[in-house]
Amino acid sequence: MAIEIPKSPEELPTTSPRFVGKNVNRIEDPGLVAGTTEFIDNFSLPGMLHCAILRSPHAHARVVKVNADAAAQLPGVEAVLTGEDIKRWCNPATTSPEGWGTYPMAVDKVLFVGEPVAAVAASSRYVAEDALELIEVEYETLPVVKDAREGLKPDSPVLFEQHESNVIHDRTHIWGDVDKVFAEADHVIQEKFRWNRCGANPMETFGCVCQWDVIQDNLTCHGSYQTPGFIGLGRSASLNLPSNKIKVVSHPHGGSFGGKGGPRGTDIASLLSRKANGKPVKYIEDRMEYLTAGGGQSWDRYYDASIAVKADGTVTGFKVDLLDDQGAGAEGYGTISVAKPLAAFTGCYRIEAAKYSLKLVATNRAPTYPYRGYGPPPHNFVLESLMDKAARSLQIDVAEIRRLNYIRPDQFPYTIPSGNEYDSGNYEAVLDKVLDMADYKKMREEQAKAQAEGRLVGIGVASTVEPGVFDWNAYATVGVPGVGVPEGVKVSIDILGNITVTVGFSLEGQGQYTLAVQIVADYFGVEMDAVRVAYAATDVAPPHFGPGGSRLGVALSGAILGACKKIEEKFRIVAAGLMQCEPEHMELMDGLMRIKGVPGAEMPIAAVAGAMLARSDLLPPGMEPCPEATYVWTAPGRNEPDDQGRCKSYLTAANATHVVLVEVDRDTGFTDILQYFIVDDCGTRLNPSTVEGQLQGGVAQGVGAALYEEYVYSDDAQPLASTFMDYLLPTVSEVPITEKGEVVTPSPFTPLGAKGCGEGAIHTTPAVIVCAINDALSPLGVQVRETPASPNRVWNLIQQAQQ
Amino acid sequence: MATKQEISVTVNGVSYQREVEVRMTLADFLRHELGLGGTHVGCEHGICGACNILIDGKAMRSCLQLAVQVDGAQITTVEGLRNLETGELHPVQQAFIEEHGLQCGFCTPGFMMSTLELLGENPNPSDEEIKHAIGGNLCRCTGYENILRSIRLAATRV
Amino acid sequence: MKPAPFEYYAPESVEEVVSLLEKLEDDDVEAKVLAGGQSFMPMLSMRVARPEALVDLSKLSELDYIREEGDVIAIGAMASKSDAEDSALIQAKQPLLHAATKYIGHRQVRNRGTVGGSFAHADPAAEYGAVATTLDIQMKIVGPDGERVVSADDFYVTFLTTDIDSTEILTEVRVPVLPAGTGWAFQEMSRRNGDLAMAGVAVTLRLDAGKCSDVRISVFGVNATPVRCTDAEQLVNGQAPGDDVFSKAGESAAQFIDEPIADVHGSADYRRQLVNVLVARCLAEAVTRV
Repeated sequence: MAIEIPKSPEELPTTSPRFVGKNVNRIEDPGLVAGTTEFIDNFSLPGMLHCAILRSPHAHARVVKVNADAAAQLPGVEAVLTGEDIKRWCNPATTSPEGWGTYPMAVDKVLFVGEPVAAVAASSRYVAEDALELIEVEYETLPVVKDAREGLKPDSPVLFEQHESNVIHDRTHIWGDVDKVFAEADHVIQEKFRWNRCGANPMETFGCVCQWDVIQDNLTCHGSYQTPGFIGLGRSASLNLPSNKIKVVSHPHGGSFGGKGGPRGTDIASLLSRKANGKPVKYIEDRMEYLTAGGGQSWDRYYDASIAVKADGTVTGFKVDLLDDQGAGAEGYGTISVAKPLAAFTGCYRIEAAKYSLKLVATNRAPTYPYRGYGPPPHNFVLESLMDKAARSLQIDVAEIRRLNYIRPDQFPYTIPSGNEYDSGNYEAVLDKVLDMADYKKMREEQAKAQAEGRLVGIGVASTVEPGVFDWNAYATVGVPGVGVPEGVKVSIDILGNITVTVGFSLEGQGQYTLAVQIVADYFGVEMDAVRVAYAATDVAPPHFGPGGSRLGVALSGAILGACKKIEEKFRIVAAGLMQCEPEHMELMDGLMRIKGVPGAEMPIAAVAGAMLARSDLLPPGMEPCPEATYVWTAPGRNEPDDQGRCKSYLTAANATHVVLVEVDRDTGFTDILQYFIVDDCGTRLNPSTVEGQLQGGVAQGVGAALYEEYVYSDDAQPLASTFMDYLLPTVSEVPITEKGEVVTPSPFTPLGAKGCGEGAIHTTPAVIVCAINDALSPLGVQVRETPASPNRVWNLIQQAQQ
Repeated sequence: MATKQEISVTVNGVSYQREVEVRMTLADFLRHELGLGGTHVGCEHGICGACNILIDGKAMRSCLQLAVQVDGAQITTVEGLRNLETGELHPVQQAFIEEHGLQCGFCTPGFMMSTLELLGENPNPSDEEIKHAIGGNLCRCTGYENILRSIRLAATRV
Repeated sequence: MKPAPFEYYAPESVEEVVSLLEKLEDDDVEAKVLAGGQSFMPMLSMRVARPEALVDLSKLSELDYIREEGDVIAIGAMASKSDAEDSALIQAKQPLLHAATKYIGHRQVRNRGTVGGSFAHADPAAEYGAVATTLDIQMKIVGPDGERVVSADDFYVTFLTTDIDSTEILTEVRVPVLPAGTGWAFQEMSRRNGDLAMAGVAVTLRLDAGKCSDVRISVFGVNATPVRCTDAEQLVNGQAPGDDVFSKAGESAAQFIDEPIADVHGSADYRRQLVNVLVARCLAEAVTRV
């Protein structure tokens, strides 16, 4: 039976939605503000031991000998794990493409500073760290591959000796007649860019408590897991256990942004538990571990890119040559983040042909992991910078060159050259609204005045598409198999009419539990208080993935609506039996099953559920007494990629334009963000406060990437930003309070018309800030082409200009 | 001198006597010895502010001192904010909920502690004063806008 | 990230501290004196510092005071930085010290961190270093041989090292009140608000018949110790205030700095430039306050 999912809030079985689309308070919050939410480090089990990990001080070295005898003798130590155990019990991490993963702990050589070489489980973390100091490791250092350019050289040392080189992936995609459009262009705008490593840094690092049942050979892992099912599958492969013998329990986590990491820590804690005869082992990554070797490093890229432009400013082609430093292998799926730009390669524009050359290189930096946006933020920085450069050389206003090239509202659904289909949008309306809010004309006048006084004031305008609701097929180019990302929930109504939604993911910050309750409460016409969300561990949860790729709001809505609809169908039959009419005459409205057109002939859903569970004698023959339903949603219409990676991948295409005014201090290179305006269109806004929160949070991370955050490495691949004194997350003083507006173009393809919006502003903020700085610097004839645009970097450019 | 020492502290109005390892940080003591897990640890080197607590009414980092150093002190943690008799949340907690001043909520207790000291000394702070007070608290989710709103709202109610 | 084991002592008087330090020294125990610990605790947790014994001064309430003694503000070493920040006396009579205090970390760190701890820790990026050399703050140090007073110029030895001997402690800093008619300025540049400074400058000056006099300029965050830029002071002394002379002073100060620190936040050249700019800006600001 096909399940019809409501395509707009108006289609919900309620006279008028009371919760969907409203700024409701989040159900997650009372526990969080009271400090009672069970983050992983608040969780413990009887007899639990504490893990500490000894990490390599060298970027590339052979591990000649590990002597842990003294550590094992230290009072309080119950297990010590070394490469010998790992070799016996483990497999290298699975990767895409295959063959670029290492064991969770070095077995013969270390590939980056911070790679685990031994671990201890002891009575406390303090004692465990004492024990680490007693472990002797003999290293034989090897020549270091400090970055991707070095890694490409023919005489470069090779990290993964089973491969001939450090090149993980080398491929060129061609979409359309790119040579022709470039040959026929009036202008070719070309530039090189460097995006330095930055990354997630949630306020809570990764943590887990793992227990190996040595009798049954079962493993249970509690932890701050963003995607519990996926983590379970990975552990099955690395720890040689059947997937159904691993239970993953995700605890509420203090943010993730893709970069929570966890596989190595989980494997190590699990094996320590195995060695400690099944005692549970807790591992809490500390911040220095996170910064040097956790899941927080992403996007280490060198770009050489160009656009083909006609005399009138029409952009016809886009070529990107990307050299990507993956770090020490592909264990963190950093590879995927170079594939994701395929989902929105040409941004908001009607660019007809494109080319994407990818080279992914292994180096002795830490492995890269996902980070919010998963790859497009640097890509957008490149495209938007080229648009600005084109505008400047053609003397077209930067807003107008964008308008000229936008995909028009009547062209949706629109298929971009790299294959994805954008669902809907009205880019010009978004632009007009933000220019109006910013009073763009006046802003330009003020800028001219300031420039006349010698001040370096600049305006940035950047427009981007945020692909939402990811699909695996988007990443086929790096070897990821599969189409569809199922997300399931179970909705149950109890004998008294109270409702429980069972989901397979935990709290992470996006307010998804609240969304679940909003939808169910409106669907069944009950108060939000009557609905509870229950987390189910991987052994009992319906198929799920969890948050990621701006998908969960849409996917969860689909799953819940599907389950509610299935219950509604059952209730229709039951209520029809009880009220002695035909099921097709029944309808659900405002929490009542009622006979259409017969006022007063109705029963509350609680009564229907109650009858199902307590009066089986009254049920229609064959009716299962089960007032609950599971529904697993997956995005409709997704297909297999063709030989150039083209497919319908991300289901939604949200859009935003940001306008920002900055001033650069000529003497110090400091950038001051003076004004910041955003208009975005992510379709139906299911909880507007949550959408705004995602936007503003994305701005903060974008400001970090644009101006502050960088994982600096020395020439011998030593990490130089291993504390929060050197890796600079923006504080309240650095993040602008933005003025926000919205345009709502519902998606025709999604439940309730909502689009993915969880990654949002980070797609646009780095681009628009750098564009604004470049506008400020343009009188000097220098331009920022490297992130972050730190004061020192900008001052260097100003110095160049003055020479 | 022994590596353990006995201390007495009052936390959220309850007195505790415990023998602690002298090297144990106050954050670890509160969280793991007293079971008050609402004080979170984000960096353990004094930058993020997630572990802020009140000692004798002043907001401080609990990761940057040792448990033995607070012998005799009066400490307030996030668990002490709610009115235990009525069950009501503290106005600062309520304001953070109403203004969506949190997402993952990990940093929130630390922000609220900074807020409490601020509002204790300055019931009507300007935006600049609020920013000054929470400048040492990192939030990775919210972008701070709704935190500012929350504190403004709390100021009208405390 | 947990401290290695150590022995812990919390003596209750200066006398006890000194005799304890002597005893530990005699026993060959490597001891470290702990004041507020806001810089030292991270080093302890990272196991970068691993003393065998910690001598905690937090019970020395006798050193927790801020008081006026004639032309001097006497600040006990254990007064917290937020007490200094909130002190009406300091705000009124030594605004330069007050301004610098607000730049030190964040409120929650100043609540626990002590004035004496900042001086004694002698981080190159510590705001108080430049204030000390500009105002010629006197440090009162107590040890087995009794009390001695050291002026700021002699106090700072090198990176994280002062003239305080291993059996001595700093008990008081004596800050001259700012004489009437003295202009002052304090500015620093850090990547983010509240971060360690890449460079910072403290200035005092007076105007005598329209000409600058008694100019004192100190720079911090660029060398192992704070630096008084006497050449730049000379350039300004006797000159009418103006952008020209101030920017010359900035250039002079920038050149005066020998091999500035370089790190991930700023190169040596960049720090020199910050000194250049900040000296000029501070001089101009100080003039407005005369």
